[in-house]
Amino acid sequence: MEYTIKYKAVNTYESTVDEAFWQFLLRPEENKTQHVRISKFTNSLNAGIEISTNTFGFPICRVHPKKPFDAISFEASYIMSKEVTNPFSALDSVANPEHYALIKSLNFKIDYERFLSITPLTQLEKSQLPVQFSEERSVFDNLTELNEWVYKTFTFKTSVTDVKTTPVQFLEKGAGVCQDFTHLFLAIARLNNIPARYTSGYLHQGNGFQGDSQMHAWAECYIPEKGWLGFDPANNLIALENHIKVAHGQDYSDCAPIKGIIYSNAAANKTSYTVEVNARAESDPDVFSENQLFEPLPFKQQLAFQSQWQNQQYQQQQQLRHQLDNNEDPAL
Amino acid sequence: MATTQQSIFASYDKDPKFYDEIFDEKGNVKKVYQTLFDLYSGHSSQDFAKLNDKAKASFFNQGITFQVYTDQEAKEKIFPFDLFPRIIDQKEWDIIERGVLQRSKALNHFIWDIYHDKKIIKQGIVPLDLITSSANYLHQMIGVDPPGGIYNHISGTDLIKHSDGKYYVLEDNIRCPSGVSYVICNRTALKRALFGVFNHYNAHTVTDYAQNLLEIMESVKPRGVDEPNCVVITPGVYNSAYYEHSYLAKSMGVELVEGRDLFVENDFVYMQTIKGPERVDVIYRRIDDAFLDPLEFRPDSALGVPGLFSAYKKGNVCLVNAPGTGFADDKAVYTYMPEIIKYYLGEEPILNNVQTYHCSRPDELKYVLENIDKLVIKPVDEAGGYGISIGNRLTQEEIEKVKKTIQASPRKYIAQPIMSLSVHATYIEESESFESRHVDLRTFCLQGADKEFVLKGGLTRVALKKGNLIVNSSQGGGSKDTWVLKK
Repeated sequence: MEYTIKYKAVNTYESTVDEAFWQFLLRPEENKTQHVRISKFTNSLNAGIEISTNTFGFPICRVHPKKPFDAISFEASYIMSKEVTNPFSALDSVANPEHYALIKSLNFKIDYERFLSITPLTQLEKSQLPVQFSEERSVFDNLTELNEWVYKTFTFKTSVTDVKTTPVQFLEKGAGVCQDFTHLFLAIARLNNIPARYTSGYLHQGNGFQGDSQMHAWAECYIPEKGWLGFDPANNLIALENHIKVAHGQDYSDCAPIKGIIYSNAAANKTSYTVEVNARAESDPDVFSENQLFEPLPFKQQLAFQSQWQNQQYQQQQQLRHQLDNNEDPAL
Repeated sequence: MATTQQSIFASYDKDPKFYDEIFDEKGNVKKVYQTLFDLYSGHSSQDFAKLNDKAKASFFNQGITFQVYTDQEAKEKIFPFDLFPRIIDQKEWDIIERGVLQRSKALNHFIWDIYHDKKIIKQGIVPLDLITSSANYLHQMIGVDPPGGIYNHISGTDLIKHSDGKYYVLEDNIRCPSGVSYVICNRTALKRALFGVFNHYNAHTVTDYAQNLLEIMESVKPRGVDEPNCVVITPGVYNSAYYEHSYLAKSMGVELVEGRDLFVENDFVYMQTIKGPERVDVIYRRIDDAFLDPLEFRPDSALGVPGLFSAYKKGNVCLVNAPGTGFADDKAVYTYMPEIIKYYLGEEPILNNVQTYHCSRPDELKYVLENIDKLVIKPVDEAGGYGISIGNRLTQEEIEKVKKTIQASPRKYIAQPIMSLSVHATYIEESESFESRHVDLRTFCLQGADKEFVLKGGLTRVALKKGNLIVNSSQGGGSKDTWVLKK
């Protein structure tokens, strides 16, 4: 399927800014399931745009205006395709002792050290670990249960946390946004020896849902034999075609969509962001038109539909496995 | 003659517990010091008081000062300088030189391995936790190849001489060690005060350091650059080592810059000049890792250059030393140095390590807690002598407090037997005579892509308070000119 994505940031300052640098991490990742066909990045001052890569190799844009200013806005637009995939397999719920032996081995811990390490934003003591994984169940099932536990235990609420909130503070508050859900999920998965990385991106929440939505965050975990798979604890979903990945890192600080260094005496400034994600028909013309209403579905209903589909797929795979287990004929 | 000798060495303590650099066990002056001793004995204490003032004036005139941070304020001080030089003969120096070079090379291999394959951990020689729990291990450096493959271009290894007469390494400093400007200024000051004595000794020069540093910097230039443009970046005039930054830039003939003088465009670094932007290829940075680039590290850093790290990662600029070397001069890693040297170089360590107990290991922690009075307790990641407790100087109450601190975070502490730093004759203003004081030696070792260099000399640091063992300048230490003799 295809999407149109629009990101807009508007910054206004009370007095003139002499010098500023911005760095943006917004472009959907090129990977097996995603491909950006058209991209556009502009700013209101027509300042030059530099392309570089961040620590994890994801492309970034930098803007460094050459003249003083008191307002600047940025706009990024992408037209991209995303493949619909089904990650569920019959082996998902089979507890494999070899997997647990693997994740406990020294070489594995060294190779995945970057995504097993505790960072300031994923700090949690082993003694505070609220969810202990069971080796009686598969890694996949443990992660799915963790996803559900985080989703059910915490309330999604804006303005109670900020980008510096730690899992411990989130546990106390009981509410926060997708970043907080993700950081806690990462902390728990890592303390249970599962490599887990912070993933930023866009969530397609159903067409027609516009306005001040923000970029989304979820966790990608490494499951032995299966590879990296995305878990979205804020919505209790596996990340599939509605989750458009931009970048991953150890935590939010590696994935901040916008970083700005402002040298000015300006006491206060105002910043507003908007993100729009719309599904489009492949036959639509390749232009960034304002309102592309295609197959409108309200946000909640869309997510419920995704969740239902994922459950069905999982059940189907389990049934298939039971049939195989109980039947000698492998052709069945 | 005998009477004057009496007067200036009258209050000299000969304590057999410590190795004396000047006098042997029988109380006779060692051969290498004899000429100097005779020359000095020919002067009265008034002469030395005058000479001391002269030397101090020389430091003032050269503008050599440093700042000490206390809780309340920062104070500008001159670095206390001493009239009695330390002399190291060629045979002894040869061991030191080969030893520090060996350590500096092994550390470079070690850092490369940790940011690439981590083979030494996979082989079970160094524990993974030791690296990943270090605040100075930068995941941003994983997979980065610095120009020329060099991380610790500049290493400062601190040595002491124990009561057994052997040199021991106290620590390796590879996060831009400071102090080299004092080495050169000590020499200048001593030459001004006591020109005559240099006629009697054939000591190696120390003023070639800056030239060698520049050559080392040029050897790690980015690919495709013929004549690299080198600069020194400083946090600014309020930094305690600002004098050294400006001294080194001046003597290398390169620009001294602050973060705001540089900018990055399309992953290349430029310097603002009155003639327009000028590309910069090699940066000797005297800014801590965390402040280098606000876009990559601490966002509140006003000292760094936005975008510098991505220019570095692309190989368009070389940072000297590389970011992220700090995990390797961690005092806990220090204890693995003999194994690290054997693993990468297949050689036996030339210089001794001090026996170290890791508080992170339960049985060693137990020993430490039971024997605090015989040990020095050090935090693993503090520099400048802060946070050190010396067991036999503590009251019972203080011991209990230290125990609690260690138990609260054992990974943060190591313990070593109390090493007895050797003593050396040192001019003491208050008594206007030479007294014995504890000393150590900071060496300076450079490595580049095709070149290595050890400064023949070093900073002999003196603990000016009688009986004190901590020699850092921030803790009230002074320094001596240090002569390495030619054959």
